Amino acid sequence: MRTKLFQYIVIALTIGSVSNNGSFAQENDLKNYKVRFNLNTIKQPDNSRVLEVSFIATNKKDRKDRVPVFDADINFYNVTADEDLLLGTIKTDEEGAAKLTVPGNQTYVTDADGYINFKAVFEGTDGLDHEDAELAVRDVFLELNLEEIDSVKTVVLNAYTLDSLKTKIPLEDTSITFAVGGFISDLPIQESTVEGGEFQFQFPENISGDKNGNIAVIASILDSDEFGNVIQKKNINWGINKKIEIESNKLWSEVAPIWMYVVLSILLIGVWANYAYSINNLFKIKKEGKALELRSEHKR
Amino acid sequence: MNNHDSEKGSANRRKFLKLGLMSSVTAIAGTSLVSNFAPEEKANPSGEKIRVLTPDGKMVEVDATNINKYPEALITPAESRKGIPDRKFVMVIDLAKCKNARKCVESCQKAHQLDYHQEFMKIQLIQDHENASPYWFPKPCFHCDEPPCVTVCPTGATFKRDDGIVLIDNQRCIGCKFCITSCPYSARIFNWGHNDKFDDKSQSYSPETQVPAAEGTVMKCDFCPDLLRQGKLPYCAQACPMGVIYFGDKNEDIVTNGEETLSFSELINNRGGYRHLEHLGTKPNVYYLPAVDRQTPLERTFEVDEEIIDRYKDVPYVQGLKKQGKI
Amino acid sequence: MDTNSRKRELVNEFSPTLEKSSVLSNVWILALIAIIAMGLYAFYLQLTKGHVVTGMRDNVVWGVYIINFIFFVGISYSGAFISGMLHFFKTPWKNSVTRIVEIMTVLSIIVGPIFILLCIGRLDRIHYLFMYPRIQSPITWDIIAIITDIVGCFIYLYLTFIPDFAILRDHPNPKSPAWRKKLYTFLAINYKDTATQRERLHKITGIMSKMIIAMAIVAYTVLAWIFSLTLQPGWNSTIFAPDFIFSGLYSGVGVIIIAMYLIRKHFKLEQYIVQSHFIMAGVVLLVLSLLFGYFTFSDYFAKWFSHKPADTSLLKTLFSRYFWQFILANYIGVLVPLFILSIKKIRTIKSITFAALIAVLGLWLNRYLIVVPTLETPYLPIQDTRPEFIHYTATWIEWALSFAGVAAFILFFILIMRLVPIIPMSDIIEHERGQNTTQDAS
Repeated sequence: MRTKLFQYIVIALTIGSVSNNGSFAQENDLKNYKVRFNLNTIKQPDNSRVLEVSFIATNKKDRKDRVPVFDADINFYNVTADEDLLLGTIKTDEEGAAKLTVPGNQTYVTDADGYINFKAVFEGTDGLDHEDAELAVRDVFLELNLEEIDSVKTVVLNAYTLDSLKTKIPLEDTSITFAVGGFISDLPIQESTVEGGEFQFQFPENISGDKNGNIAVIASILDSDEFGNVIQKKNINWGINKKIEIESNKLWSEVAPIWMYVVLSILLIGVWANYAYSINNLFKIKKEGKALELRSEHKR
Repeated sequence: MNNHDSEKGSANRRKFLKLGLMSSVTAIAGTSLVSNFAPEEKANPSGEKIRVLTPDGKMVEVDATNINKYPEALITPAESRKGIPDRKFVMVIDLAKCKNARKCVESCQKAHQLDYHQEFMKIQLIQDHENASPYWFPKPCFHCDEPPCVTVCPTGATFKRDDGIVLIDNQRCIGCKFCITSCPYSARIFNWGHNDKFDDKSQSYSPETQVPAAEGTVMKCDFCPDLLRQGKLPYCAQACPMGVIYFGDKNEDIVTNGEETLSFSELINNRGGYRHLEHLGTKPNVYYLPAVDRQTPLERTFEVDEEIIDRYKDVPYVQGLKKQGKI
Repeated sequence: MDTNSRKRELVNEFSPTLEKSSVLSNVWILALIAIIAMGLYAFYLQLTKGHVVTGMRDNVVWGVYIINFIFFVGISYSGAFISGMLHFFKTPWKNSVTRIVEIMTVLSIIVGPIFILLCIGRLDRIHYLFMYPRIQSPITWDIIAIITDIVGCFIYLYLTFIPDFAILRDHPNPKSPAWRKKLYTFLAINYKDTATQRERLHKITGIMSKMIIAMAIVAYTVLAWIFSLTLQPGWNSTIFAPDFIFSGLYSGVGVIIIAMYLIRKHFKLEQYIVQSHFIMAGVVLLVLSLLFGYFTFSDYFAKWFSHKPADTSLLKTLFSRYFWQFILANYIGVLVPLFILSIKKIRTIKSITFAALIAVLGLWLNRYLIVVPTLETPYLPIQDTRPEFIHYTATWIEWALSFAGVAAFILFFILIMRLVPIIPMSDIIEHERGQNTTQDAS
């Protein structure tokens, strides 16, 4: 009877440990996860280009359960007709992101249509399958100028691509977002479509800028099929600078209002001087008494 | 004979049922027992752990402290008295969108290692008058520009920085609780007894993180300066599913809730932003946008624990709902 | 010679009060020590387990400790005020009362701040108050005021003790132990009752008495400001400082009457503490009860009449949850003493003492009703489910420490009465000499 009971308990515990169900939908088995491998490109204002891979496994049943792939080697290539030119190898971080910054002076090999083809590859292992992603973007140039035209603050944008003969072709039909640089996030001020390679608009009057009135104006193409992400920045001192003053000598500041120190000192000095005076007089009483005692002793 | 057989049969049946019941009970007990020993994402006081996949396809746990660069740039109590230069932080809370999801409360508690009942961000249900419709009122510390709490602190343990944030130095606080009595918004809480989490020495104490806390001292919302130094939004603003909490810098006049970025002065002016109990003259730095054109109807915002709904039992609207049996 | 023999007479008369201890007094002392020991145990529990053992929680963060603090410091300030005032009177009747008042002043200013220390969350950091003080904080003002007051009252008390120490040193009771003579010799600082010494002593006592009056008013005002300078409904009232001064006086006179009664009874000092003392104190108590009632009524009536929502919710709490306390404190505490003291026939020593007792208890409750209900009705409603966070209920630890404080007060009082006679012998002699003992030194 006892051994049977023991058997039951063992079976129950085994069942229990197998159906280990602590937090919800947490699994150790990749079977229920879909692995996503995405490649993105961002062209920076200094003409360098960031190639970014996001390598994350998402639970098929619970989309909030995302497990990033950490410390995986990702190879970035410029794909040409003949071979893949390796641009660099980066390991993914704890958020599953691998970022390669290709310097601005890098020359890319374009294909017949003028697109640069990028590829990111993860060599598979026993546990994880081989992953790759490709991206084809055209190189576009954004020139941002901030001028005062007829004493109106204007933002002027020139956008063009280069063809095989290095002639400028004005950009058509691409949406551009203009924003002003901010501490945590940039403030959008204009969104429009570029036609004929040009766009300009009046800069808003009430932008604060930093303490010196400097503003970073940012023009960007976001998530474009043709160009990826492109960012251009320029600084200008057009801020109206709403800097708020710092106060001192208040009730809540470190240094109190001066009059408080004065009043307190007067009161305290007055009172404690009186105490000192009283104690001083007590000592005099003692001295007098002592003298009297000595005199009477002397007399004897 | 027959009787004996059927008795035996029923005895066997009873035994079988008993076995089944016992097995399931022990299975459940066993599950909880074993899951206590299994490696899991428990709220580990010494640094968060996150699950990652190694390149070999194995799921492991990594210390998440490397993600938050803050501990490498630890701000000591003395340094924390100077603010982040040239900033004046401000928060705008859009009462029209708040639906009492309480994600702000939970993420703040997790980040600051608070117990279930300790809340830096409190959600109140305010009904301004009998004819008004009540609204959910997320209430962090307002980091007032004329803070009564800072004025009354006898040792200077709580202080206002140049970037507007009011912090508490738990190494200076003597626990006189004058600041708690003088805050008209009831924003502060006190550590009444000893808690094991106080003994955690894995992180150095900084007033900007308030971890580890100390017994007999005061704590409150701190606008997460450790995140701000990295250019990130405070935990509550990041966690809100409705984008209720906007945060930013008054000097550059920009606030963001993670999705939208707006001009602070335009937001306040266009949406009628106001401050709570303005007439007290504390000059708070948290503005509220009135609860008009609610995104979520009020009746559908009570999907929380009964224990939490019980907090609001004095609000006439809640009493009405209870009478109608809706909650 | 005449003086000396009179001194010896007085010493013989008062020695028993200093040295004899009856069974009753020993039992009494043991009981007090037991209460204090209980309080020390409670303190130990609070020290090791933290303030979670008290009834205070995040909303009502100030409870019985602060109330006791205000109460005792109020008694002290009232004592300082009264003893300063009495110093101006040259009548004989004041002799019997002055020392009681002065001892009460010093003892309650020692016991009171101990309660504040009990309320501090981190006693190990109490020195930060002196290392990093912020003078904008009313607590800093209060600390400065209390320290100044303790020193001042102590000096003042000592000044009044010196002549008696001298008498006890010069004409010791032959049966008293040697250490007593040594003690008196040391404490009397060679005061030989010469004309110059007497004059000097009178001069500084005179200045101190005026200073004590001013300090009493200023210091208790500062304590009232701890409450009235905040924004809380119920506290942010301009009437707080005057109200505290008069309520403090009210409780102080009450305690003086009770002390007079007990001392007279125990030491059989019927010839020194006579009915007219009680009547006079009773009349003062009557006037103060009227003033106390007037200030309290003004405060609450204005709140009721102008019905601001925060004030209204405070009044609602006072009249629902604290209804009986409110009645006891502000109605019974005023009307019963008023009744007893205004009708001549009822004005006996016993009834006056009873009125004083009601006054003191009523005033303690009044302090409770000032501190706790405001904290239970903040501007933003308390929306919580834990009952101890919504309402304040003091735990046994807080009560044990409160009673221990009272017991300590009584015990120290008894011990001081073993050191010096409760009726100042030097004053009796001075008066009998027909000299101006309270010549204004300025």
